[in-house]
Amino acid sequence: MILLSLSYSKQYHLRELFYSFFKSLVGKDVVVELKNDLSICGTLHSVDQYLNIKLTDISVTDPEKYPHMLSVKNCFIRGSVVRYVQLPADEVDTQLLQDAARKEAMQQKQ
Amino acid sequence: MSELEQQDAAESCCYGERGGEDEGVMEECELEEMGEEDEEIDLYNEETFGIDLDERSDEETGDSTDILVFCGKRSPPPPPSPPPSTPTTPVPQPQVLPALSRGQRDRRVLRTGDMFEDPAVMRTVEGRPSLQSLDSAIVDSHIGSLCETLDPDTWMLSPYGRSRKALGPMLHDKAIITVIDRPDPARAPLDFLPPLRHPFATCPLRGSGKRGGQRGLHPLVRPLGQRYLSQMGPMLSRSPVRPRPAFSPPQPYMQPFTPKMMHLRFGAHSPSPAPFCSPSSHILQRFRFPGHVTQLHPQHRRLLSQRHQRSHRGDNLDPNGQLMSIKEKEWIIRLQMIQLQSENPHLDDYYYQEYYQRLEAKIAEEEMLGDKSKREPPKLTTPYVTKTETYTPVVHIEGSLGQVAVSTCFSPRRAIDAVHAAQSPEEPRFSEQEQLDSRKQRLVVLHNIEKCYMVLLEVEEAAKRKATVFSEEERERLEEKVQRRVKLIYSQLQYPANLETAEEFLPCLLVSKGKRLLARFLPFLSQDIALHVLKTVTLHLPVLMSRDVDEALPVMYPSLCTVIGRLSFSQLIGVLKGFTTTLPDSKERCLPMACQNKFGISLLYALLSQGERLLSSDTPMDAGIGDYETWTETVFLVARELSHSSLVEPLLLPSNLLSLFCRYLDKHTVHQLEDSMERSTAGCPAVPS
Repeated sequence: MILLSLSYSKQYHLRELFYSFFKSLVGKDVVVELKNDLSICGTLHSVDQYLNIKLTDISVTDPEKYPHMLSVKNCFIRGSVVRYVQLPADEVDTQLLQDAARKEAMQQKQ
Repeated sequence: MSELEQQDAAESCCYGERGGEDEGVMEECELEEMGEEDEEIDLYNEETFGIDLDERSDEETGDSTDILVFCGKRSPPPPPSPPPSTPTTPVPQPQVLPALSRGQRDRRVLRTGDMFEDPAVMRTVEGRPSLQSLDSAIVDSHIGSLCETLDPDTWMLSPYGRSRKALGPMLHDKAIITVIDRPDPARAPLDFLPPLRHPFATCPLRGSGKRGGQRGLHPLVRPLGQRYLSQMGPMLSRSPVRPRPAFSPPQPYMQPFTPKMMHLRFGAHSPSPAPFCSPSSHILQRFRFPGHVTQLHPQHRRLLSQRHQRSHRGDNLDPNGQLMSIKEKEWIIRLQMIQLQSENPHLDDYYYQEYYQRLEAKIAEEEMLGDKSKREPPKLTTPYVTKTETYTPVVHIEGSLGQVAVSTCFSPRRAIDAVHAAQSPEEPRFSEQEQLDSRKQRLVVLHNIEKCYMVLLEVEEAAKRKATVFSEEERERLEEKVQRRVKLIYSQLQYPANLETAEEFLPCLLVSKGKRLLARFLPFLSQDIALHVLKTVTLHLPVLMSRDVDEALPVMYPSLCTVIGRLSFSQLIGVLKGFTTTLPDSKERCLPMACQNKFGISLLYALLSQGERLLSSDTPMDAGIGDYETWTETVFLVARELSHSSLVEPLLLPSNLLSLFCRYLDKHTVHQLEDSMERSTAGCPAVPS
């Protein structure tokens, strides 16, 4: 039982890094590129442990190709379909991110 | 027959799409005629069937939206042989007679070329579009036809257009009869190919919405109509709209028809709705559907009444046509067509392509055999897209330790090689073995650095906790822990494990990650050790500067500055010597190189500034013998170098440099120096010493 919970917690920690990171980006403008090549620009409204993303005030960066998104204002994106999230560079502390990744790696090993 | 032909001719000009802004306007005479006819037909139909019927006389061109018209041949047929029709005509005659008893009116109606004078026929034909709206195939046909008008490059190719024109005259009774005569299952699908102009306005997908509706119909209209006719009930199956026609054999649906109609060869040998439609022109003129057939589907009824309404509104749009603008309709169609785009139509559209090829072969054969006019089977192709963007499924980013799999929703996974095959483009002068070695070494170094980072994080955390903790014991414990770890890191950095190298720190310093690590690590070192590190850096400065690809050297500047700030004069002189001594490999000195490098010049300035600070301060300096001379020498050297070479902007420009130079140099040189330094430090913040 205990072992089980530990393994779960380990997995949880795996996601924890990105979840924690994205939490710091809530309210910032991001561009989410999906695996179906759709790119959506919007304000990050919320994120969860599965990295599902809610964007508000979205605009499709290539409206010619995906006209069906023209009228959509907010959207919920399932985390598993995200390929990239483009972030504003000045909102990210890369050193801190590296440290967090190392910490996570350490925790994983333990 | 001639009458029929006349009618057909008239019909060919009457029928057709009235839709859209780009369609021609109906001629006034035709309008009037059609208006008249409409009324007559309505009356007629009312009497016969109790419903208002509209006339489809608003159709313009030969592309009759009528399935009846459509299911005939595509080229103007020779006059069909009467015999097939005659047997049928007398049978329905009794039913027809009452209609015909109206006499001239009907004849006139027929005369206008509206070969579907037979209200029953018209109804059935009209009914189809309504079914179309419910049946995906028909819906598809609409889309197809819309697309045709919207974008010639989409799937309706020009043969379509040509055949469209031919449709009208084609759909003469005779033609239809001829079609019936020659039941050709292989040709049956052909009927679906030419676009149909749809006379029915109730179909929501109609582009124009005008009376007479559609720009061009998808031939699919026919099978659906047939189905409709056969079932006479809500046979409508809702299926997702697909631009591909869905052919369905008419066989099972023929039961409701009378035996008389059966001989028109419904079923397997019937060219789909053709048999039903075909009796249209002259056969069905004097022919009424059997009673049970004439019970119109409510949908049909509505359709007809709408047509009626529309006809009385003249050129008004389809009542449902104003919900969406033309652009919106086009938009939706394009949306759906996007899904159709394929880079490999032969593969994606295999059945149709194959079928079409066989069809063409058959037609060619027929042409050779008989004296038939060339029939071009219309070709439907899904839009072909040459995909110019290709993606590499496995990407090796330069300088990375591994490979990244680029997955799309079309190819989710791609195996990544355990050993990356990418060759680094740098260092071409080395042999492959050397390259491999250097890469391996780099990996080893990187691995070491990562381990050091882990420890460093612990150190940093412990140091932070030490500041907050109150108990002395705790603090001592933490301190000890810190020291242990610091030593560990230091040793690792100095001589990385598994690496044979004589140089201290150099492997780690060459890697940008190592530089960053060092920058963070320096504050934890004692001054002596830090000095040692500084000396090493200065010693290897040329190498570091030349191989600093990422320009990561400046990250070390703040920590090194702190170290420099704590230097004694003699220590400083020692460090400065590294700048002025000639390099063992070349005759050049480090100094010129440093002036061209941001980090180098900043370091130099920092050192000089420290010296000046020390000298100008009142604290007694324990300078060694010859230190002052070295100092003066260095200052002169630097001054000369600075004034001669173009300078790079330093990270920080200490403000006491000028006073330093003033002390040793003449005014002229100082001014020169000042100018050159100021030129280089356009945006550089000046720091008071």
